[in-house]
Amino acid sequence: MTETREVTAERGPFFFKRELGKEEGEYKLVGREIERPDAFSKIMGLTKFTADRLTEDVCFGKIVRSKYPHALIKRVIVDEALQIKGVLAVITAKDVPGENQIGYAIPDQPLLADKKVRYIGEPIAIVVAENEYAAEKGVEAVKVEYDPLPAVFDPLEALKPEAPKVHEKGNVALTTIIRKGDVEKGFKEADVVVENIYYTQRQEHAYLEPEAAIAYPEGDGIRVVLCTQSPFLVREFVSRVTGYSQSKIKVIGAPAGGAFGGKDDMGPMVASKAALAAIITKKPVAIILDKEETFVASNKRHPAIIRYKSGATKDGKLTAVEIEIIYETGAYANRSPFVLWRATVHSAGPYVVPNAKVDGKSVYTNKVFSGSFRGFGDPQIHFAAEQQMDELAEKLGIDPVEFRLRNVLKEGTRTVCNQLLEESVGMEETLKKVAEAANWKKKREELKKYRKGSKVRGIGVACAYHGISTSRGVPDWSAAAVLLNEDGTITYRSTITRLGQGSLIGHAKIVAEILDIPLEWVHIEEPDTSASPNARPTHGSRGLMTGGTAAADAALKLRRTLIKLASELLNCDEKNVKLENGKAFCALDPSNKIEFSELAKETYQRGYQPAYYGFYFVPRRYFDPETGLGVAYCVYTYIANIVEVEVDKETGEVKVLEAYTGADVGKAIDPGLIEGQMQGALAQGIGYAISEEVAFNDGKIINPNYTDYIIPTVKDVPRKVKVVIIEKPYSSTAFGAKGVAEAALIPTAPAIANAVAHATGVRVRNLPLTKEKVCFKLKEGKK
Amino acid sequence: MKLIPPFTYYKPETIEEAISLLDEFKEAKVIAGGTDLIPLIRDGKYTPQKMVDISFIDELNFVREEGGYIKIGAATTHSDILNSKILNEKTNVLVQAVKNLGSPQIRNLGTIGGNLCNASPAADTAPPLLVLEAELLIQGSKGERRIPVKDFFLGPGKTILKRNEILREIHIPSEVGKMKGVFLKLGRREAHTLSIVCTAVLLKADTEFEDIRIALGAVAPIPIRAKETESYLRGKEVTEKKIDEGTEIVKKEVKPITDVRGTKEYRTEMSKVFVKRAINKALKGEVECK
Amino acid sequence: MQVNTQEIIISFTLNGEKVVKNVQPNWTLLDLLRKKLRVRSPKEGCLRGDCGACTVLLNGKPVNSCLVLAPKVDGATIVTVEGLKGDPVFEALKETFAEKGAVQCGFCTPGMILSAKYLLDRKKNPTQEEIEEAIEGNLCRCTGYIKIVEAIKEAAKKLI
Ligand SMILES: Cc1cc2nc3c(=O)[nH]c(=O)nc-3n(C[C@H](O)[C@H](O)[C@H](O)COP(=O)(O)OP(=O)(O)OC[C@H]3O[C@@H](n4cnc5c(N)ncnc54)[C@H](O)[C@@H]3O)c2cc1C
Ligand code: FES
Ligand code: FES
Repeated sequence: MTETREVTAERGPFFFKRELGKEEGEYKLVGREIERPDAFSKIMGLTKFTADRLTEDVCFGKIVRSKYPHALIKRVIVDEALQIKGVLAVITAKDVPGENQIGYAIPDQPLLADKKVRYIGEPIAIVVAENEYAAEKGVEAVKVEYDPLPAVFDPLEALKPEAPKVHEKGNVALTTIIRKGDVEKGFKEADVVVENIYYTQRQEHAYLEPEAAIAYPEGDGIRVVLCTQSPFLVREFVSRVTGYSQSKIKVIGAPAGGAFGGKDDMGPMVASKAALAAIITKKPVAIILDKEETFVASNKRHPAIIRYKSGATKDGKLTAVEIEIIYETGAYANRSPFVLWRATVHSAGPYVVPNAKVDGKSVYTNKVFSGSFRGFGDPQIHFAAEQQMDELAEKLGIDPVEFRLRNVLKEGTRTVCNQLLEESVGMEETLKKVAEAANWKKKREELKKYRKGSKVRGIGVACAYHGISTSRGVPDWSAAAVLLNEDGTITYRSTITRLGQGSLIGHAKIVAEILDIPLEWVHIEEPDTSASPNARPTHGSRGLMTGGTAAADAALKLRRTLIKLASELLNCDEKNVKLENGKAFCALDPSNKIEFSELAKETYQRGYQPAYYGFYFVPRRYFDPETGLGVAYCVYTYIANIVEVEVDKETGEVKVLEAYTGADVGKAIDPGLIEGQMQGALAQGIGYAISEEVAFNDGKIINPNYTDYIIPTVKDVPRKVKVVIIEKPYSSTAFGAKGVAEAALIPTAPAIANAVAHATGVRVRNLPLTKEKVCFKLKEGKK
Repeated sequence: MKLIPPFTYYKPETIEEAISLLDEFKEAKVIAGGTDLIPLIRDGKYTPQKMVDISFIDELNFVREEGGYIKIGAATTHSDILNSKILNEKTNVLVQAVKNLGSPQIRNLGTIGGNLCNASPAADTAPPLLVLEAELLIQGSKGERRIPVKDFFLGPGKTILKRNEILREIHIPSEVGKMKGVFLKLGRREAHTLSIVCTAVLLKADTEFEDIRIALGAVAPIPIRAKETESYLRGKEVTEKKIDEGTEIVKKEVKPITDVRGTKEYRTEMSKVFVKRAINKALKGEVECK
Repeated sequence: MQVNTQEIIISFTLNGEKVVKNVQPNWTLLDLLRKKLRVRSPKEGCLRGDCGACTVLLNGKPVNSCLVLAPKVDGATIVTVEGLKGDPVFEALKETFAEKGAVQCGFCTPGMILSAKYLLDRKKNPTQEEIEEAIEGNLCRCTGYIKIVEAIKEAAKKLI
């Protein structure tokens, strides 16, 4: 196997120190917590979410959805609906001018089902009307004649030869593989072997803001405003569906009321429908899902079944893993190729495992499709991997933290894909620091003895790693634009979107730091495909790492220009020109200075280029999909969580009392934002671990609302959460930053399961750990 | 989810007006806080045509003590119950129930009358009222009738109320104030959630159970009293063993179903656990509320 | 007795100003505010009382405006964050929410702040439990609540 690692340009911390002529401690914005500039407008309700932009002239599109989990569509009768006052159009598959295809990686998913429906809730038609009531009546009046087919709801059933076929080519959407070393030999060398099956459930993103898009016909083109994670991806899909060239489509990324991956997948689907409706009716059309539709028809976290065998020697070294992964993709593949590969290449956890045999399958069923969700395949696999680690540790009589430390990935070691890790590997330090913060050793001993009535306590640990940006060799890049206005302010453009995470604030900080100007001078424009360079999606925790590095590239170019110009104006050698606090001056004579606004004016007057396009191409990699070996990701974020739980042995209630979560983030551009991401991810992870599960009855979701889909309230999160930030900078990105948004969620569920096992001696390998499940598990355990 | 369809809205200011509207229009329906009704309408389970909003009727909104009863107007909100001095002082088992009902926002809108008339098996105010042996004052055009709360529920969503009657008042005998009451609820999370099991226990005990009343919600088609458990325990010595034996009977008295909130088996098990816990808590007297 | 057919006229005070408006009985207070009066701080989340994003103060108390029929606010006082400029409790919360990083996507924020304001109006020095109880009906999917609770505590401190 050949390993190629092409480094575009070294951009890490040393580069920036040199370029800016500053020590890290001298940075004014990078590395410091700031007050979010968007907080006030959100508090005052002034931030315009998509639905806040509705005006009286906008028509409504509502979706006719499948009532069957699996059926042939015989006919869609729209006549009656068209008679309803206010109904403008009923759009079905045959009205799609472009391609009726929105499959993300595999072309298996129509925008509007034409021949067949594959899940309850699948879109069949769009009713466009002047008002919501007419649209709703129209939806009720559309008659769909079905020919029901036998359906399959369980991935294991779906794998049987006699199972109904969800897609013609069979129920396996794709497979993945890793073959490294010799697992047989590995298990022979092992002194202990642990083998278990793990099950994880479907999780719903449950962002408060439902999916929404408003499309406006404009001239010979179209403008779409929506909450999305990737305006350019939306544009690509709208173009595909409408047949409009990409240049005629303008996509605006409105702030989202939460996204978590859901709006990455749903954005293009909702936008394409709104655009289609607007083009056909020649009117502005809004499609705003209601919360029930979101629950029923938006992508979910893949449920998984994972058979996991691992072995270790007496002295606590992993020798081999053999893993079978089944990820249920539901009716369509959507992001499954990426999700399953991610799970596969992370399947051994952040540890050195010399021998590995991993087989992944993504399986179709007649349920709503799975897709992107914070963690993107990693929470499921780590739920298995990290409980295996605890069980091995227990069998070996080694402390779980100690056992992990003996196996963690370090610089110079190789991942399960045989990827050589050359830099920025902070697993060991992260785990050590988190264990220290949690007072692990002492608590692990003490809590064993805790008992109050039916309540016992325990403490558990889990680690994780998470590759940033795209997997395997898939190219990834980002772009940004920095424009110096004549008054010295900066216009910043990127299509990284505003999901609440604050990536763009990070970008602005980077730009302001590089130019050494106040942050307020950097104005962040709304992401707009017609005006902003393509920063690519806001997913994979890449928004800051890749988008911010592109921002840095643009800002550095402007900086160099300004230094050149200042040198001319100040009559000072370039190497002596300093940019500081919105001024340029000559280091030899600080009184010889020029204000930024003056500099800006002169930029234009003297014919210097005032605007720059910044670009960042993520280091190219080699990966062999036939063996699963190669460079899976350019870099990884490393995470450790420790949680203390209380288990009520009578009711099965698991309460997380304290949590410690740490990550090696490369460089913390804003520790406050990171804390926010880590705490939020942890809470979402607690929901995943304890209460959240999309429930079905014959393919129909029976808890399509917050009444019965239980996400944490303020009383369900631990009162004490400590975030530990570790910085092992990455040499390829701005200031060394890596991604963080998904991190803390990944090891939360296994840490909780491990803590429950510590408290009760009983292991739950099946998510979520609801009161009921834990209660009965404990009863079983007693027997 | 559906849009709320058009309907005609009435806003009577007296009980008589309300009753006469109900008398006049067959399709009229009472709305109080709307916290049960609006979601039902959005789920398409109920289509309103004429709505009679009783939340403006002052005569339905009060808590006061008179004639040996603590009387609560049916349109009194949960928040007002929670803050009622009389209820907090005299018998706070109802207050305990209301404290964990929904969220502050829901408690500011939802009414005790709505909670009862909606007749959800999981209505949190029902078990306390069952153990308090409250009486309901029902008003129709032909006059009023009083019935014990235990006879009020017929099944999920069904009560003995006639279409043109309204629940006017809830009467709690004042003397129960001398018994200790505890309400406990098991939900799928810590707050703002519906009961998988809820229970109210009212007892008087020193070394033996002089009197004990037990009610449960969400474990049968209607909120129930656990009469057999009560009669087993009544007169028995207060010991852990007796309590354990007694509460074992609860498991036979409940008739739960399996739904998305919990299985029959879990509800059955938890009925015992929660009744036991409520009894122990009442015995310890560690009942705090506001 | 008023017998109201389709449209009815209501009058109420919104953020200190008198509003007289023709409403349809099937509008909710949330519809009225967002769609007819362009008051956009209450958000449309679940429309069934579960999320609290639509919280407004009705006669001083937080309620889910998605569950309140518009005609019911006849004669009432409605307050949203738009009407709280200059209110000391609100100003304190506004500052601490921003300082503490209690705002991420911001969709839950206006409702959350109203629930917190209602608490701080009545309790000068709320306990952890009281804070939790005050905002238990406001779901937040972004923050994990930690910084929100901190911000409320901090605001209480500022107000003393
Ligand atoms: C988010 C949320 C959380 C909730 N949590 C809980 C909970 O934890 N526990 C719980 O028990 N409930 C809960 N509920 C249910 C509901 O809030 C309560 O049942 C509430 O008390 C209902 O009162 P209401 O005034 O809003 O009823 P409405 O919705 O106005 O009415 C309910 C029913 O009662 C009828 N009705 C109301 N008043 C009268 C009367 N005086 N005479 C005759 N008929 C009448 C109405 O016609 C209707 O059929 C919750 C609801 C929501 C939306
Ligand atoms: S929108 Fe009203 S509570 Fe969710
Ligand atoms: S900040 Fe996004 S829901 Fe609270």
